[in-house]
Amino acid sequence: MQTHHQTATQSSRPVASDETIEERAALSGLYKLIARCLEEELDRETLRLLRGALREPLSAAGWTLDADFFATAEDTLLEVLAEEYTGLLVAPGCVNPHASVFETGALFREPCDRAAAAYREAGFDYRRRLSGEFPDHIGTLLGFLGHLAEAEAEALRRGDTEAAEQARQRYDRFLLEQLGPWAPGWCQRAARAALHPFYRQVLQFTEQLLWQALAEITDRRGLKELLAKNRREPQKLDYNADFRKASGL
Amino acid sequence: MSDLATRNTEGDIGRLSRRDFIKLGAAVGAAAGTLSLGSRRLMAMEQELGGDDISAVTGAQRQSVPYTCLACNIEDGGVAFVENGRIVKLEGNMDHPNTRGKLCAKGNSGFLHVYDPDRIMTPLLRTGKRGEGKWKRISYDEATSLLAKKLREVIDRAQSEGDEAILNEIVFKWGRNRTGGAVHRFMHALGSNTMINHTNICESSKKVGLEPSWGPDIESCDWANTKYIINFGSNVLETAYFMNPNAQRLVDGVVGNKAKLVSFDVRLSNTSGFADEAYFPYPGTDGVIALAMAHVIMNEGLYDAAFIRDWTNVTAEQLIAHLKPYTPEFAEQESTVPARDIRRIAREFATTKPATTFSYRGPAKHVYGAYQEAAIHMLNVITGNVEKKGGYCLPRGMDWPQPQPEPPKGKTASLLAAPPLYPLASHHVSTHVPYMIMKGEAKVSVWMHLYDNPVYTYPSSHVWAHLFKDEALLPFVVSFSPYMSETTELADLIIPDVTYLERHDPESMPSGLYPCLSIRQPVVKPLGGTQEFRQTLIDVIKKVDPDGSLGIQQYFAFNSVEDWMRAHFDAIPGLKDEGGWDLMKRKGVWPIYGQVDKTTAKLVDKNGNEVEPEYGLYKKPVPAADLEGAEVGEDGTIRKDGKAIGVRIGDQSYVGFGTPSRRIELYKQSFKDYGFNPLPVYKRLPSRDKRSDELVLTTFKVNVHTQSRTASIKYLAELYHKNPVWINPKTAAARGIADGDLIRVTSDVGHIVTRAHITEGIHPDVVAVSTACGHSAYGRLSQLKQKEAAEEWAQGGDPDITHNVWWDDKGVHPNPIIRLSVDPIGGSQGWYDTLVRVNKAEPGDHYGDVETSVEVSIKDYEQTLRLAYTGDLHRINHKEVDIDWDHLPQPALHAGGH
Ligand code: SF4
Repeated sequence: MQTHHQTATQSSRPVASDETIEERAALSGLYKLIARCLEEELDRETLRLLRGALREPLSAAGWTLDADFFATAEDTLLEVLAEEYTGLLVAPGCVNPHASVFETGALFREPCDRAAAAYREAGFDYRRRLSGEFPDHIGTLLGFLGHLAEAEAEALRRGDTEAAEQARQRYDRFLLEQLGPWAPGWCQRAARAALHPFYRQVLQFTEQLLWQALAEITDRRGLKELLAKNRREPQKLDYNADFRKASGL
Repeated sequence: MSDLATRNTEGDIGRLSRRDFIKLGAAVGAAAGTLSLGSRRLMAMEQELGGDDISAVTGAQRQSVPYTCLACNIEDGGVAFVENGRIVKLEGNMDHPNTRGKLCAKGNSGFLHVYDPDRIMTPLLRTGKRGEGKWKRISYDEATSLLAKKLREVIDRAQSEGDEAILNEIVFKWGRNRTGGAVHRFMHALGSNTMINHTNICESSKKVGLEPSWGPDIESCDWANTKYIINFGSNVLETAYFMNPNAQRLVDGVVGNKAKLVSFDVRLSNTSGFADEAYFPYPGTDGVIALAMAHVIMNEGLYDAAFIRDWTNVTAEQLIAHLKPYTPEFAEQESTVPARDIRRIAREFATTKPATTFSYRGPAKHVYGAYQEAAIHMLNVITGNVEKKGGYCLPRGMDWPQPQPEPPKGKTASLLAAPPLYPLASHHVSTHVPYMIMKGEAKVSVWMHLYDNPVYTYPSSHVWAHLFKDEALLPFVVSFSPYMSETTELADLIIPDVTYLERHDPESMPSGLYPCLSIRQPVVKPLGGTQEFRQTLIDVIKKVDPDGSLGIQQYFAFNSVEDWMRAHFDAIPGLKDEGGWDLMKRKGVWPIYGQVDKTTAKLVDKNGNEVEPEYGLYKKPVPAADLEGAEVGEDGTIRKDGKAIGVRIGDQSYVGFGTPSRRIELYKQSFKDYGFNPLPVYKRLPSRDKRSDELVLTTFKVNVHTQSRTASIKYLAELYHKNPVWINPKTAAARGIADGDLIRVTSDVGHIVTRAHITEGIHPDVVAVSTACGHSAYGRLSQLKQKEAAEEWAQGGDPDITHNVWWDDKGVHPNPIIRLSVDPIGGSQGWYDTLVRVNKAEPGDHYGDVETSVEVSIKDYEQTLRLAYTGDLHRINHKEVDIDWDHLPQPALHAGGH
């Protein structure tokens, strides 16, 4: 389990104002969008959405997709993006998108159980669509945040403050415990490894969104701790391998 | 303690001074030596191998699931401990009579294969150029449909052209095929015989040195009960065949039974280090040492006259005459081992009963390796140690039936699978495949490979890379590997299998004197929805023949993979009554012979009495029913329906050995038919006549790695990851080389740049490099790329790779500069026949540089064909064989499929 000291601040208590409802619904939409972009290869419908209705709002939010993204034929772009997705997030040597790998160096460890338990608690069952997918996939984790934010907005809309509060608590806890310690840093590394600008931008956008979301629910000290956790520079080992003879024995 | 000692207590007990406290404590401690104080309820966890396992964190009892190890090919019995659907630990299966509860380091760390972040978890379709590393993820369904389409195209072409030979363009190559017949079923269903194993880069010449003599392809030594062991070129304590069971029993024999161990190896292996006497022969001369020992034994009358008379196809006089030239002095001249030691060891071996030899890679992996193995084997025969308690025994395996119906073999023999120039090489000559394809001798349409990495594991491995990169020669390549090996990265389609801990296989390995069956079963569900190979085969066949019109669906009509297993195990007499497949799932192995005695490590029954293995298998009587209608030939061979079923000696009918005469055929007519010497001989190799600036390059395996596929295992990579060249101090000094120096090792094929490890533990004319290092693929850990580009590589996010890899040397692989040269008899690659020059690195050389030439390797191929039975060098090297050289049999395709 996590050992961080961050605490959810007062700002996490939902207030049933139109503004809050709108904000939570928007947040949900953003999470769902990036979840769809990261959980699997881009599909035709999402591509059309990105190139159509979302083009302006995304650009206004600072996510300006480059000209090629709009100029390339749909089929070609889908192929190119599928290849990039596989190289970046699926095939050996990729930036592994699972919390277990980032946290422990192995597939299917405790972060998987924690994620699955949180899904269950909120009434979701995890079912993979393709082989090699696990509940602690970054895309799924983000999608879950989207569901929680949506649940909160809907509860607020129907005036069920208890349900809204429960959804908000789940959201805060999940964001703080299951994504906060690693996901923004992971996004940064993955963005650096991305060869295609689309994925670089999705990942940079995600990183930014996560930091903002975390800042809303964490005090300064907690945020500093999260920043340190996400940095994950290679450790300098105080181990001198040279004492071993050339034999390697 | 100071806290306790100074604390005030209430009541009758006064304050305890520190001195009193220490005194009392010490007194209690002393008393506890004889009397066990403390709680009688608390037991140390995991005290007993194979016992229950309790999680130290949750206190939950872990589920234990038996399986058969395949971290290497010994097939030890294991038990996986599973908690929350995850493997937390592997242990040896105490019920497995040969493993007896112990796994080696590879076996213990095998579960890391399952959770390796660089494992291939989904089918991948190539999108860029071959080898460019560009892929698209597809589903198993899409992948199997694509493969089925490609296979069906070949079948349709064969049908439309009315040429069944076209089916042999479907190729299946494996390095390890432990599928219990699944690959053969698949290929035969498709009508192809082009199945290519890896055996000739391994011990095929050992097999061919043994099979024509006594039937099976390996010996099973009764190590624990022996009194004298001669080891020829095998590192049995670390790596050789049946390593784990053999190593356990060898230690039982040497330590428990006070057996003497004499070891011959060019290098001070850990086995030689453990021996009473270690000798360092010149490479490729084990055979002449064995022949000289036989010479002494025969000439000094130390042989078992009755055994030779009754159980071989030669006479003592014949052997004495044949062995005449092989004096210990001659052997000394060839091997550099002193004649007096050869003589003494021969006498000791012949007069100490029981005794046995063991041999593995050292003698076999040379040109003419089959002769060397046959010579070593002969020592056991002439001393009558065969099938005796403590002696040199036949291997003991068990068969299991194949589900019915079974597809017939393909109708046309495959040139690639069994090159006709090697009629005696019953395990074929896979090294020649790329050369034959490049020369246009055979066409390939679909190439599939399983557990195979020739681009790394074969001699002159660059030739395989050259083949795989050529899309005209191999138009469609499918890998079933769950790891991105050097070969898999050159595939067009990857349909990843699961790891050995997640799939089903039937098994039986003769790894000791107790025959048994064992199984592989998923100890956890295949990770992340991956699919086991067996299911992939079922799916592909159903898609190749969707409406059943090809008639091949029937061979894969299993409702599930488990159904397939039931069909293997549910009808076996004896096992059936004990529960068949269900028992196998619970126990992992059958039969259960007894328990392992904790003191002696012997198998004992419930009364504590040893359960002895059966000895003297060849002396079992032929069943009376079989004798009915059988005929006895002049030589005593009992034949029925044209098949030899036993041998009559005196008035007894014995089953004998698995040879045409049912005796041990030290004289091999089949060898003679092709112009080879029918009796074991020594042939001086070109490497024995090297120039003074040359050295013989040898390779060796280490105890924590297989040839190729363990490099990505974190525990093992940390233990062993670099492989400098072992070189003798005198040899190094003559070249101005110091320990750790950068050196260039050059053969005629090219050079590598690596480092020197100076050690007395190697013959001065030899250098040795271990395998398992220097990968250019196989995941981040084996490639150690983060050390080249830390920033970029750390992006993978594995914290072990980022933080815990303290080493920066992944080693340098020697295979690219090892020359192709095969034993014309047994087919083994002559791994230890390459001559090299070793010098300090040249200006501009960098550690890990490799330079090779495909053209030179092609010349090596042509040169090695000259040694084949049709070649000019064969005649020159076998002038002593009395045969009509102008009427040798014509090269013929292996009849009737494979
Ligand atoms: S020797 Fe080791 S790796 Fe090989 S089967 Fe036995 S335990 Fe497994």
